[in-house]
This record gives sequence, structure tokens and C-alpha cells, in this order.
Amino acid sequence: MPSETRSFAIQGRSDVVVAGSQGRRFAVRHGFDVRRATELAIVVSELASNIVKHGVRGELRLIWNPETPPHGEIAIEAHDAGPPIHDLQMAMTDGYDDRGPIDPALILRRGGLGTGLGAIARLADRLDYREEKVGKVITARFLLR
Amino acid sequence: MSESEDPHVIVTSERLQSVIEALSYASVDEFDSCLTLLQRSGELKDEFSELETAFSIFVRELGEAKSELNRTLAQQEAVNRELEAKLETIEVQQAAIRELSTPIIEVWAGVLCLPVVGIVDSQRSAEMTETLLETIVSKQARMAIVDITGIDVMDTKTADHFIKMARAVRLLGAECIISGINPGIAQTLTHIGVDLTGIRTLRSLRDALQLYLRETEQLVVHQHSQLARKLSSES
Repeated sequence: MPSETRSFAIQGRSDVVVAGSQGRRFAVRHGFDVRRATELAIVVSELASNIVKHGVRGELRLIWNPETPPHGEIAIEAHDAGPPIHDLQMAMTDGYDDRGPIDPALILRRGGLGTGLGAIARLADRLDYREEKVGKVITARFLLR
Repeated sequence: MSESEDPHVIVTSERLQSVIEALSYASVDEFDSCLTLLQRSGELKDEFSELETAFSIFVRELGEAKSELNRTLAQQEAVNRELEAKLETIEVQQAAIRELSTPIIEVWAGVLCLPVVGIVDSQRSAEMTETLLETIVSKQARMAIVDITGIDVMDTKTADHFIKMARAVRLLGAECIISGINPGIAQTLTHIGVDLTGIRTLRSLRDALQLYLRETEQLVVHQHSQLARKLSSES
């Protein structure tokens, strides 16, 4: 099977829903079982939600790499033009954003629980982060077993 | 130019005038009137008529190019209209998706049902909590049934948040039942060691509604017997 890439522009909440459901289909099509495909869809959804939440334009890419051992992988790349993550380790801690603990009273107003990156780290096989000239890229990888 | 070496061409001012007039027609896109004028004045064959012929060829080509351009523009316009209509549809659908992500139904007076389907991420679960708590207050609901039959996978923290949502509902003085927990989610919940005391979970939405009916029935029976006792003690 050749490699395949699909891109989605992420601007609003409905793009998050579309990316999530397309992510699940993409995973099932490349041989993931439904459970793992749904976990992948949750990660897609968390990454896309983050882009929308921080009010920046972004793009989400689903990449099927058949060469990755043992049986290939899907890399989910979230590109956005926003500022870099101040402290990645802290941001990955549940209940924290990239600068510290989230005040529970503000959870609703900030539109999230601060568990998104934590969820991505738990569900994906690998999480990579890199900064670019403009913006940043978060990559979550799911290995086909 | 054949017999004489005279470099001048003699043209009547009338012909010159009609060429100028033709030019003015061309400038306002009236190519047909322009061509008629040129034809009439070009009936004489001399050196000036060469200019007239060249001019009319130019005008004819310009006219054709212009109408081609108009056709393309019209097509473009139609495409644009179609695109605008599609964009409108997309906007409507986006609004529908937003609404559908937390559909809260009042299945009975004071009984709310929140069926959860699709992919639940942390942000969506935060939104659900917000909407559910607000609706409980605004509808003065006594019970909220959160049905998660449609969900087979959730992140541990999101699952934990669902339980917290149930507790928040109780704080508002209503009861929260979570129905339709599937084996995968059940494992997730026990795996993270969530404290489920005080949280009612039922197999299906149907069981949840039946429970509600049974309890209201008991309440009605209880009120009836109290009323009967009161009446008999009064008599």
C-alpha cells in the first residue's frame, strides 16, 4: 500500500467533528481495529480542538506511512500558526495548561479541562513536538500492530 | 502610388469623419454600428481604405474577444453563485453540528436526557457539562439521564469528567443517571479507580426511564396514603 496524506483546514468547531470522523475512517481503511481507530479519532479531535480553542488558523494532516515497522503507522500532524508551547511537560500534565494549573472555576470559560495533551500522550504511541519559523507542529503516531 | 511619387493621400473630411465616428462606436462596445460605418466608407478602393479594412478587422476581432469574455464572465458568475449557495449550506450544517453535539431532550416534565454519540474529547465533555448544568437549572429538572450507549472509547480523564458531571448534577439538587456504559468504558472507569458511590448507572436508557416511572409511582402512592391517613384522622 503506498503512503497517503489527507489534509484538513481547521477553523471552527465543525471542522473538529469532520476531522475526527474522517480520522476514524482513515484508520479503519488502513487496517486499524475499530477501538484503536476511535482512539485515533479522539486524538485527532483533541488536536483539532486545541487549534480552534487558541483561535489560530491551522491544518491537520493524516499521514499513512506503510514503511514504519512493524506494519506501518498513521502520523497525525497538527500545524498551527500560534505561539509555541511554553512548557510542554507542564502542558501534558492533566489539569494544567502550558503555564501552570488551571483554575477549576475557569474551566468552562477557557473551553477545556486541560487534559487534552495528556489524553493524546496516553492514547498515541508517540508524541512529538517541534517549533517552526512560524508556529508549531504536534505529531501523534499510531502504530499498526 | 503607382504612377505618381506623391507621398500624400487625399481623403474627404466626410470619410475621415465617419472613421472617427466608427472609433467612437467601438469605444462604447457598439461593434456592429462601428462595422457598418466602416463598410460604407470603405467602398472606395484606395490607400486609405487599407487602413479602414485593417481597422474593421481589428474591431471584428475585438468584438469577438469581448463577447467571449462576457460569456466566460457569465459562467464565472454562475459558478460563484453556486459556490455561495454551497457556503451557505455549509454554514447551516455547521450550526446543526454544533447543536447536535449536545442535544438535550426533555423526555418528561423535569426529566432531561442527553444522548452522547460520536467522538468525545476533553473539550466536548466540558461543553456538555456546561450545557447540561445550565439546562437543569433553566428547566428545573429533577433528573438527568446521560446515555452513552453510542460511545465505545473515551480517554480516562474524559471518563472521569463524566462522573464529575454526574456529581455536579447532584449538587444542583437533581439526580443523574448514566446509562449504556459499555464494557470498554467500564474497564476504563474501574482502571482509573473512579469513586462511583452515589452515581447510578443503568444498562440502558429504557431501564433509566423505567426506574424514573417506578419512583414517581411510589411517590404518588406514598402521597396518596399520607393524604388518606390525614383524611381518616380528621373524620
